[in-house]
Amino acid sequence: MARPLRRGISFGLRHIGYIAVAFIFVLPLWWAIVSSLRPNMEVFADIFPFTPKALLPVPFSLQAYEGVFQRGFGQIIANTMLVAMITMIAGLFVNGLAGFAFAVFDFKGKNAILTLIIISFMLPFEAIALPLYTVTLQLGWLDNIAALIVPSVANGLAVFLFYQFFKEVPKDYLEAARLDGANWLDVLRHVYVPLSIPTLISAGLLLFVFQWEAFLWPLLAMPSQQFKVIQVGMAAFQQQYQTIWNQLFAVAVITALIPIALLMPLQRYYVQGLAGAGLKG
Amino acid sequence: MTRTRSPLLLVAALLAPAIAGLVVFRLYPIALAVSDSFFNMVRGHQVFVGVGNYLSLIADSAFWKSLQVTFWFNLLINPIQIALSLGLALLYVQKFRGIALYRFLFLIPIGVSLPVAVIIWRIMLSQDGLVNGLIGIAGIPAQPWLTSESFALYSIIAIATWKGISYWMIFIIGGLQNISTEIYEAARLDGAVAWQRLWHITIPLLRPTLLFVLVADVSINFLLFAPIFMLTQGGPADSTNVLMYEAYKSGFVFGDMGRAMAIIVVVVLILLVIVGLQFRLLNGKQEKK
Repeated sequence: MARPLRRGISFGLRHIGYIAVAFIFVLPLWWAIVSSLRPNMEVFADIFPFTPKALLPVPFSLQAYEGVFQRGFGQIIANTMLVAMITMIAGLFVNGLAGFAFAVFDFKGKNAILTLIIISFMLPFEAIALPLYTVTLQLGWLDNIAALIVPSVANGLAVFLFYQFFKEVPKDYLEAARLDGANWLDVLRHVYVPLSIPTLISAGLLLFVFQWEAFLWPLLAMPSQQFKVIQVGMAAFQQQYQTIWNQLFAVAVITALIPIALLMPLQRYYVQGLAGAGLKG
Repeated sequence: MTRTRSPLLLVAALLAPAIAGLVVFRLYPIALAVSDSFFNMVRGHQVFVGVGNYLSLIADSAFWKSLQVTFWFNLLINPIQIALSLGLALLYVQKFRGIALYRFLFLIPIGVSLPVAVIIWRIMLSQDGLVNGLIGIAGIPAQPWLTSESFALYSIIAIATWKGISYWMIFIIGGLQNISTEIYEAARLDGAVAWQRLWHITIPLLRPTLLFVLVADVSINFLLFAPIFMLTQGGPADSTNVLMYEAYKSGFVFGDMGRAMAIIVVVVLILLVIVGLQFRLLNGKQEKK
């Protein structure tokens, strides 16, 4: 076979393979977007028998999004943003300080505490959700927004990310600043924080996404559902408005696109942060 | 290490918030689960029953059926997810024109939360949904993906896999980037073809990363809850009734917290044994080589 021909075939096969894989990843979200942009009567049109029109937003309509916001979904988005932002800011402080202490100082029992922290993030949240409900009862926080925020602030994985990064900062910087008479908190603020912007971003995303995706815990901790967060709100919407398909899709699309819009420009930090954690974990 | 003496007071102040949070909201609940599993609620009062809740689990056929479902589910989903995320990571790290777009598309499920994925897939898998439409092109009749005993568990596996493998892929990419390209060059010069390089170089050198992913993946799947809660509620005919859902039903539907906690303790103990075995088996092999 002639060389260019063979190269052309392997080029084609490779792209067909990648497109097939990408198709599976994109299809659900794409279909959800398309269906949310159609009138409700048309959502299941063109599927039996299947025509490619089923994957295009025709006829086009924005009714679903108007309907969703009329039903108060904007409030749910605002609630979730509030919970996620407070958790993220408090979590960056709390976990960053702990990571700094582990990276810079030697003290008795350091390895034992670090091991406990690693165990705490290896055990998934689901395992403690039911007993955590009892803790919340004891604290009297049931149906209180504190029950959503406070338990999620301290995060073992975030501590670990900061610890790993701060450990790599050359000690010379620290010694130089100390010789200039800076105290430890100045060192943290003026030396470590400016260097650690990528780690701040990946830990911040981690905390934000964790709250954005929380489902089981808000379901248990807020039984009266006066204050709804987005995943629970979406599940409730599904039960309440079973057959308003286009609005259901609109809710799902909004819920998915906000974190994707956040992750897209910051993808590099997120991938590098997690990939590093797996390597050394 | 030569360093100035650590200011213990400052260290304590820096660590206190994080440690307090982890102790109160991670470790204490675990202790509470263990202690609650020794009690039963009788007319609004906690009564100590010792190992009574555990003993009644042994005689409880619903528990055994649920344990069986949990094991079968995990025996399938974990190898599938790890094999697919390894494959996906190998696709991700290739370099050619246009790869950036594919890389972005591969990461989409990470941004889609599990509840969103579940809702979209539920409609896609419904009787007149997109999946049945697509297989209709090939002349295959519509299938009851989520409502039949023989399909429901596998549909949940498919949905969780769609959602999960991009995330695990990221960790494997980290491992792949750590393997020096010189080893591959040497193997290529020795005439090793692609699958030989994968089998004899990539997988052995990835072992620490794969072990991490395996342990983390098993821990999550063993405790998977949301898709079962949202899609099947354990049905049809208990075919998707994994232990986590059985525990939830016990505690929040039937108000039997003692039994719920006993199930959780059993699940976590089984999980710890499995994780321990994985470390022994996979780390042991490496030492022999």
